[in-house]
Amino acid sequence: MFEFLFKGLIRDKSRSLLPVIVVSLGVSLSVFFVGYIEGMMGDMVDQNARFGTGHMKVMTREYVKNIAQKPLDLSILDAGDVIDDLKQKYPEVDWVKRFNFGGILDVPDENGQTKTQGIAGGMAFDMTSNNSDLKRLNIADNIVEGRMPKGPFEMLLGQGLAKRMNVKIGDQITYFGSTMDGSMSFQNFTYVGAVQFGLSVMDDKTFLIDIKDAEQILDMEDAVQEIYGYLPNDIYDDQEIEEIKNSYNQSFANDEDEYAPQMLALRDQNGLSTMLDMVNTMSSAFTFFFIIAMSIVLWNTGLLGGLRRYTEFGIRIAIGESKRDIYKSLLLESVIVGAVGSVFGTILGLILTFYLQEVGIDMSDTLGNSNVLFSNVIRAKVVPTQFWIGFFPGVMATFLGALLSGRGIFKRQTSELFNELGV
Amino acid sequence: MDTLYNIGLSFRLAFRNIISSGLRTWLTITTLSLAFVMILFFNSMYTGWEYQGIRDQVNWEFAQGQVIHPDYDKLDPFTIESGHGKYEKDAHLTPVLIRQANIYPDGRMVPILLKGIPADQQIVELPTQLLKESKANIPALIGLGMAQDNNLKVGDTILMRWKDKNGTFDAQNITIAGIFETNVPTIDAGQIWIDLNRMNQLTGLQQEATYLLADAEYNQTTNASWNYQDKEALLKEFYELIELKRGGSSFLYGILMLIALIAIFDSQVFSVFKRQKEIGTYIALGFTKKRVTFLFTLEGTMYAFIATVVGSIIAIPLLSWLHEVGIPMTSNVDQSRKMGITVGEYIYPLLTPELFSKTVFWVVILSAVISYLPVRKIAKMNTVDALKGKK
Amino acid sequence: MKKIFTIAFLLIGCTVMAQDPVAMLQKIDENMYSNTKITKSKMIVYGKRKNKEIVMEAYSRGTKDTFSEYLSPAREKGTKMLKLDDKLWIYSPSSDRTIQISGHMLRQSVNGSDMSYEDMMQEKKMVDMYTPTIKGEEQMNGEDCYILQLDAKVDDISYPKVKMWVEKKNYVPMRQDLFAKSGQLLKTINMEDVRPVNGRFYPFKMNYKDVLKDGKGTDFIVIEMQDNVPISDNVFNKANLKK
Repeated sequence: MFEFLFKGLIRDKSRSLLPVIVVSLGVSLSVFFVGYIEGMMGDMVDQNARFGTGHMKVMTREYVKNIAQKPLDLSILDAGDVIDDLKQKYPEVDWVKRFNFGGILDVPDENGQTKTQGIAGGMAFDMTSNNSDLKRLNIADNIVEGRMPKGPFEMLLGQGLAKRMNVKIGDQITYFGSTMDGSMSFQNFTYVGAVQFGLSVMDDKTFLIDIKDAEQILDMEDAVQEIYGYLPNDIYDDQEIEEIKNSYNQSFANDEDEYAPQMLALRDQNGLSTMLDMVNTMSSAFTFFFIIAMSIVLWNTGLLGGLRRYTEFGIRIAIGESKRDIYKSLLLESVIVGAVGSVFGTILGLILTFYLQEVGIDMSDTLGNSNVLFSNVIRAKVVPTQFWIGFFPGVMATFLGALLSGRGIFKRQTSELFNELGV
Repeated sequence: MDTLYNIGLSFRLAFRNIISSGLRTWLTITTLSLAFVMILFFNSMYTGWEYQGIRDQVNWEFAQGQVIHPDYDKLDPFTIESGHGKYEKDAHLTPVLIRQANIYPDGRMVPILLKGIPADQQIVELPTQLLKESKANIPALIGLGMAQDNNLKVGDTILMRWKDKNGTFDAQNITIAGIFETNVPTIDAGQIWIDLNRMNQLTGLQQEATYLLADAEYNQTTNASWNYQDKEALLKEFYELIELKRGGSSFLYGILMLIALIAIFDSQVFSVFKRQKEIGTYIALGFTKKRVTFLFTLEGTMYAFIATVVGSIIAIPLLSWLHEVGIPMTSNVDQSRKMGITVGEYIYPLLTPELFSKTVFWVVILSAVISYLPVRKIAKMNTVDALKGKK
Repeated sequence: MKKIFTIAFLLIGCTVMAQDPVAMLQKIDENMYSNTKITKSKMIVYGKRKNKEIVMEAYSRGTKDTFSEYLSPAREKGTKMLKLDDKLWIYSPSSDRTIQISGHMLRQSVNGSDMSYEDMMQEKKMVDMYTPTIKGEEQMNGEDCYILQLDAKVDDISYPKVKMWVEKKNYVPMRQDLFAKSGQLLKTINMEDVRPVNGRFYPFKMNYKDVLKDGKGTDFIVIEMQDNVPISDNVFNKANLKK
């Protein structure tokens, strides 16, 4: 029976090809939609992850207690050891050093007297070329003037800050602040470029320097304020992060040292847990409605698939097949079409999602403006849901369509059906 | 005239044709309407978020505009020290004075901004009446973010140190009279609000302000030496941010639109297949193939028409209702505070006429294009075969 | 009868004279401020995790002008600070820049200590700023002391009220409590190891503590002090910072 129907389906293109194409298309859209929503929601997470929280973050316990103040004096000493340990325990995670600190920027005139001066917040990360953090923060693409720092003691300013400080590329800027232990710290930097962050909070107050320079000016060689961890491809995974966090913190459970390292997950920081929960609710709602809509489309397809074959049913009844058998074969066919379409669709949807996950579509050219904080690269994320979600609209809806359209077989007289043969 | 009549006739025909197909027409229309409603819904949420951001910032921070002391630059903390001065009283202006101070949670010195605002003000939503009601020596208001960062609760006292106008240190306990929850982080993080009168006593600065909040009736010519910025100017950055975020979401509407279009495409393919005899008949009756194509395209587009009507019947009341009650977003206030963006706890979707007409336009245009694609076949049909119902 | 009264009055007068708080405050000022002074001292900042020692040499002239140079640790060596009147500049050799510390920055702590730049900015003699009253006697930091209460008589002053324990023999303050306008104690300075220097008496060890903050405060220990030595005017010149 199955083989017979299958052959029939393959041979009759109008019965198989179009419905399968439509089902595949619908299913792939659904599957892709789930990945896309995940990706889009991930974008909101990503923005936090990149600048404020990492997927996870390691600090000292005392630091965590005062985290709102970002107290440098409570930083991790022996940073090398801590990072090596992290890399060994969780090799798949990208562990990077970050610093956030304040200070005064002072621009001298030709006589070395202060020309402009301002309070600014410094951020330091590894700017060595091809570095993962450099790519992640996407600074290079958002330089509106000048270039990335290359040598030691070169500085980028937020574009608003650059304007306020009234500096030109190549100008000297003196950083004046304090080291980790509160000593005075002075360092001359060369201003090499301005960055557009996209939020005035950052544009007007932030300067960026390389991590090595920061270690130098903060007197923190082999010390680090915060170690950020990112999962492969920077794809957020709540569960995995939670596992890493728990296992890491567990390994220090017996350590009494108040400066022992402690890991926080993204959701533990900045009140992000509520946002994440909201994102989850939202994405489920989106997905739910989408699947409903898709199901209706495919239901319609199934219905059409049944309707267009009334003439055929007439003939089949005429040659002695029972209505019940016809109905059964119609339903079975619809399941085959639905299943085949769903499989194809799911594969297609996954491929599409995967492409967008790994490569992404850069919209910055289309949209014109780009900046550091808000990524214009559309990304999706492959999630397990995608492997089964497509079968709902794919199989169920097509089946439902056939179920409904098939009712006509019973309703109509054989002669009527036969009539539709239109001979 | 003739063409007009023909077009009119085609419309009536198309309408009757699709309505008479019963269930499957309604399925297509349901899908289309659903997509239509979803597009409107997401877009309204977005617009609502945007307007709410504006509303919150106006209600909490900017009022209808600000008259700012010429030496004060909110981006430059250096200017707080000297960026304040005597102001002329104006019924339409509410003064705010900013001073620097320190608090000492857990023995660490934390610099804060001390802001004074009249306790009886009505212009912004800060619950300043709590300052009036409180019996404490120095009642203060703080935002939820500030409270969380420093582990403060209502009723807590904390020592604050500041300098008066002569540079003399003063330090007293302040009492947290209220913690407000706002979506505007720029009046929360690192700030303590007290009654301006009390602040005058504490600092010795009488009738001085850093900036003045203007109401709608304020006439900006009266205070010439200070800088007046209306709310539009103050909101400029927020507008830019919204524009930026809007771009990325268009992709989503694309996908949503796609399902609706698949539904139409599907119906159209079916129509052309199933109704060949009908097509033949039309041609036999003297319709040109062009006109039949038009008729069938119109049928497809008609789905979109009806869907937008049905969709509107659902979407407009739904969104108007949601606009009143809001959609709870749990609490992402912390997040917004940290990032410095304004996101509300409730989102109130807002359906603007512009958004509505734009969506209708695109749904109809795209449906027309999609409807046309399968119908092109008609032009290639052999009339006799068509009449016979053969392919 | 009248005579008795006169004698009694004189007696009372005498005791008052002997304990004239203003005179006492003058004596304190004389001990603390000299025309010129060269001091080599060590500052010990007690941190939560580690302590830090900074050695510096300071040249001062009257109450208003001070020039100091950091001698160690290596990171800070060569950093110079010049205070003239109410202005303060810092020079760093590594960046070869001189930056004036003003406004907002004055509130910053000096080298992570409990002392802020503005605490260093006091430029008047105490007798010009405060009206003293004797409030009693007490032993403080191992010495018999008078307790002086100082109330501000001028407006522009950081601490409107000071409680001071003054050693009876040589009028050296052994402890000062600095209060805010409200009466809230803000800072405590404890002195010990009083030594004579060129006829004056000076505490060679001081602990400066911000009572609002956790921690042990900051110690200042004088290593060497020369009093009333000639210092060239060139020292108190901005140009000297860059040398």
